[in-house]
Amino acid sequence: MAKVSVQKKDNKPFIGLLVLVAVLGVAVLGYTLTRPGARALTVDPAVPAGTAEGYLIGNANAPVQVIEFGDFECPGCGSFANVTEPDIRARLVNTGTVAFRYFDFPLSQHKNSWTAHTAASCAADQGKFWEMHDRLYAEQDKWNMEATSNPVSVFRRYATDLGLDLAKWDACLATQPHTARIKANAAEGTRRKIGGTPTFIIGDQMVPSGPLAYDAFKRYVDEALVKAPPRDSGAPPAARPSVKKAATQ
Amino acid sequence: MTRRNAIAVLALAGVFLSTYLALYKLGFIGSLACGSGDCERVQASRWATFLGQPVAVWGVAFYLAMFGTSLAGSFQALAPSRAVSVALVLVSAWGVLFSGWLTWLEVAEIHAICRFCVVSALLVLVLFVLSVRELRTLEPPPRSGQ
Repeated sequence: MAKVSVQKKDNKPFIGLLVLVAVLGVAVLGYTLTRPGARALTVDPAVPAGTAEGYLIGNANAPVQVIEFGDFECPGCGSFANVTEPDIRARLVNTGTVAFRYFDFPLSQHKNSWTAHTAASCAADQGKFWEMHDRLYAEQDKWNMEATSNPVSVFRRYATDLGLDLAKWDACLATQPHTARIKANAAEGTRRKIGGTPTFIIGDQMVPSGPLAYDAFKRYVDEALVKAPPRDSGAPPAARPSVKKAATQ
Repeated sequence: MTRRNAIAVLALAGVFLSTYLALYKLGFIGSLACGSGDCERVQASRWATFLGQPVAVWGVAFYLAMFGTSLAGSFQALAPSRAVSVALVLVSAWGVLFSGWLTWLEVAEIHAICRFCVVSALLVLVLFVLSVRELRTLEPPPRSGQ
């Protein structure tokens, strides 16, 4: 019979350690599963925007300025665009309360994202950024890296459906004249320490990446409205967070 | 405390670590968002799935196997069992190879290092070393005919 190296010893330390690891493990997992969602951080509205240019929807002089750093291939951004954003546009943007700017923040793990951002910027040349934006997010599962390695053919169909001048759009996609702008937008997000997408800056508060329902979004807007000066005061809009060169679509 | 006890404790910690990563990958932990951190890059890469299942789920299975085997081997009845020690060495050796491959992928293909994966790889290495040392303390059974 083999020599026994495991001898009968006091098992209390072993059992105690097992219990300790189990309790710690359950506590950490439990906390992680139940912790509250995204919290807002206050950011300095005086931070200059550099040369980044977001895509604007709404009145540029609206009392509340909102920035989204988004990735076209990010499922969270798609969820926001498809579920929450229609309400925001109808109730806050179209009523003149919010100016909403979209900044490119393509993540490197999403292989088709850069192409999607280029496709949208080329649509912007023809005044249809937001139409392409909506189509890209609505049909994200048809062109993302799980679906295809050739997203251009899908984007070309979208361009056709949107009535874009295909020759111009094709030429834009081939020459990629907006690369610097997309990079600048992404760099702006990095400079602001964006940890993921979608991240929103609503007034002077940065809401970290995560799901944001309309009610939560509206609460941030209401807080920004309180800080904004009266609209007829002639003063520049308050809580206008460091976007000085945002392009108007 | 015996080496098998230590293996059981470390494997249990590994169960929780890999469960955390599996829950993240499956969408139960974290928000519906895409991070720009290295762990997110690793988790979003095509190598985060193996044989149709998230790698982290395989990690849970691995650590559970190590935990169950070492815990059973800690009982007095199985304390002298060489088979338990051989099983621990074989399972942890597989873990070392798999973790090594994943680490190489992180460096060479994904170009991102997830700190949780590094901790797990080190944990697997420690489990392997402990398992080998445990096996070496048990003499092989006498050969028949000698």
